[in-house]
Amino acid sequence: MAQSMIKLASIKHNTDNALVIRLNNGNYSLLFNQQIVLLSVVLMVLLACAMLGSLVLGTTTLSIQTVFDALLGQASQSQQLLVNEFRLPRVIAGLVAGFALAIAGSLIQHVVRNRLATPDVLGINEGAALLMLIVLVSSNAGLMGPWWVAPVGAFTSGILLLIIAKGLGTRGYRVILIGLALAYLVRSISELMLAHINSLHASATYNWTVGNLNGRGYEVAEPVALILMALMPFLLFTSRQLRVFQLGEELASTLGTHITRIQFMAICLAIIFAGLAVGIGGPIGFVAIAAPVIINKILGSNQLAIINTGLLGGILVVVADTLGRVLVAPLEIPVGVLTSILGGPFLLWVLLNNKNA
Amino acid sequence: MFAVKLLKKHNEPNIWLISYFLLATLAVFLFISLITGAGYISVSESLDYLLGKPEAIADDKLTTVMDTLRMPRTFAAIIVGGCLGVAGTLMQSVTRNPLAEPGLLGVNAGAALGVVIGISFMAAETGYAYLVWAFIGALVGNGVILWVANHGSAVVTPVKLILAGIAVSATFQGITSFLLINSQATYDQYRYWVLGSLAGIDLSIIGQVLPFLMIGLFTSLVLTRPLASLMLGDDVAKSLGHRPKLTRFIVTITVTLLAGGSVALAGPISFLGLIAPFLARAITGPVLFQQLILSALLGALIVLIADISARLIVQPFEAPVGMILAIVGAPLLIGLTHSNRFSQLILSKSGN
Repeated sequence: MAQSMIKLASIKHNTDNALVIRLNNGNYSLLFNQQIVLLSVVLMVLLACAMLGSLVLGTTTLSIQTVFDALLGQASQSQQLLVNEFRLPRVIAGLVAGFALAIAGSLIQHVVRNRLATPDVLGINEGAALLMLIVLVSSNAGLMGPWWVAPVGAFTSGILLLIIAKGLGTRGYRVILIGLALAYLVRSISELMLAHINSLHASATYNWTVGNLNGRGYEVAEPVALILMALMPFLLFTSRQLRVFQLGEELASTLGTHITRIQFMAICLAIIFAGLAVGIGGPIGFVAIAAPVIINKILGSNQLAIINTGLLGGILVVVADTLGRVLVAPLEIPVGVLTSILGGPFLLWVLLNNKNA
Repeated sequence: MFAVKLLKKHNEPNIWLISYFLLATLAVFLFISLITGAGYISVSESLDYLLGKPEAIADDKLTTVMDTLRMPRTFAAIIVGGCLGVAGTLMQSVTRNPLAEPGLLGVNAGAALGVVIGISFMAAETGYAYLVWAFIGALVGNGVILWVANHGSAVVTPVKLILAGIAVSATFQGITSFLLINSQATYDQYRYWVLGSLAGIDLSIIGQVLPFLMIGLFTSLVLTRPLASLMLGDDVAKSLGHRPKLTRFIVTITVTLLAGGSVALAGPISFLGLIAPFLARAITGPVLFQQLILSALLGALIVLIADISARLIVQPFEAPVGMILAIVGAPLLIGLTHSNRFSQLILSKSGN
C-alpha cells in the first residue's frame, strides 16, 4: 500500500548544506544551496533598507513614519507628492537598472571566465551612446531622444557583434576581443562627433554618458521591468546550465550541456539586459563588474548566484544615487560618477582583504 | 598572410626575415610620412629637401614645414607606436592575460584626470602643459595602483594587479567626470585632447619625454629572460635564480614609463597595446623576445600608417589618430580572431 503511494514532494537536507526538494516521486528535483538562499534574504533586507533610506533622505528629509504614511496615502499632499511622485519612481528605476546591469556583467564574466569581461567591454554602452548622439544632433529641437533610443543602439551594436563573431569560438574569448574592437571603433566615432558639434549638445551628451537617474521614473522602469520579468525563465535556465559549465568543458558536455548554445544564450541575454539598463539611466559604470566580483568573494568562485548578483547591483545603484542626491545638495552628483568613484576603493578593499585569492 | 611565404622548414616563422621586412616597410612609410601632409609644399619640393639640394635647404618655408611639422610628427608616431607595442607585450606576459592592456594600469585614466585637473585649476591650455599634466597623472595613477596592490595582506597576483588597475581607473574616471560635468569650459578643451593627436608636437617635447621612454625600452630588453621564466611558474623561475616578485614590480614600472610617456605625447591611444602584441603573437608564437621586437615594429608601423591616413583622408582637416587606429585596427583584430592559430594561442593561455 505504502509503496504505491506517490510522493508528490519531499524536502530534505543532504550532506553539503543543500536543500533538496523532490517532486513527483523524485522524477524532478530542485537543489537549493542554503548559503545562497541565506544570502538572498540578507540582500533583500539590505535592499529594503537602501530603498527606505532613499525615500527618507534628500533636500527635505522626512521621518520614516512619514514615508510609510505617504506610501499608504495618509500623509499631506506635498509629502505624498515628494515620496510617490519624485523619490519612489527614481528608486525603482535605479533598482531595475542596477539589477539588469549586474546580471549582464555576471553572465559575461562566467561565459568568458575572465573578470575583465563586462558589458562595457562589448561595446554595448558605446552603441547606445552613439545612437543617442545621432538622434540628438539630427533633431532640430536639440533634445535627447526617447528612452528606447539607447537600448536600440545597444542591441544594434550587440547584434553586429554576434554577426561578426559568428560562432563563439573557444571560451567566448573571441566575442570579447571583437567586442573590444567594436567598442573602440564606436567610441572613436562618438568622440569625433562630440568634438565637432556645438558645446551645448556635447555637454548634454556627456552628461548622459556618465550615467544619470535624474528625472527617470516609471515610464522607463516599467517597460524594462516587464521585459526582464518575461526573460526570467530563460535567465534561470541559462545560469543553471552555466553552473555545469563551471566544471570544465569536457565534463559539461558529457553531462549534456550544449556549450556553444548556452554561451550564445548567455551573451544574448547579457546584451539585452545591459541594453535595457542603459535605456534607464545611461551607462552606469562599474556595477556590472563590481557586483559579480563581490558575490564571488562571499560565496567562493565556483558559485553562480545570478539573482543575488542582481540584488546586489540594485543595492549599489540605489545607494549611490541616494548619496549623489544628498552629498553636495542642492547640487547632484550623477549616479554613474558616484558608482565609479566609490566602487573603485570598495572593490580594492574586497580584493585585498581576501587572503586566499 | 605574408608570413606564410617567410616560413622555414619546420613551419617555424623566420623571425629575422619578418623583422627586416617590417623594418623596410617602416622605412618606406617614414619616407611617405615626410613627403606628405601638413604645409602647402609639393611632394617634389620635399623630396629635394630630403636629398639635401642646396636651393631646397635655403628655402625658409620648406625648412620650417619639414623641421617643425613633419619630422617631429613622424618620429613621434614611430616612438609612440613602438613603446605602446612593447608595453602591451610586457603587460600581457606578466598577467598572462591576452586582454591586458597598458591602459588598464590606470595610465590612461590617470593621464586624463591629470589633464582635466590641469585645465580646471591650473589654466593649462597649451599642448606642452597638457603633456606635463598627462605624464604626472599617468605616473600618479600607476603609483596608486602599485601601492594598493602591494599593500594588501595577500600576494599580488597578476589578476589582482589588473583588477586593482580597473578599480583605481574607475575612481579616476569618476573624478574626471565630476570635474567635467560641472564645467562646460573644461569639457570643451577636454573633448579635443581625448581624441589623441600627433599634430603640434615639436622636437623639444619629444626630447623631454624620450629619456623616460628609452629607460623603459632598455629595461624591457633586460627583463626578457626573467619575465619569460615567470611563464613556467614562480617556483621554476625561482629555481632558475630569478625573483618573480621583483620582476613583476619592475615590469609594472616599465609599462608605466612607456605607456605614460606615450599618452603624454599623443593623447590616450588605447587600442594599440592590444593589437600590436596580438599580431606579434600570431606571427611568432610564445617566444617573448621575438614578441617584443615584433610588437615594437608593428606598433610603430601601425601608428605611422594611421597618422599618414589621418593627414590625407579628409584634407585639409585631420582625422584623429585614435579613430584611424580603430578603423584600421578593429577589422585587423576581428580577422585575427577568425584564424586557427588564434584558437591555439588562446587555448594555451590560462584564462583568469
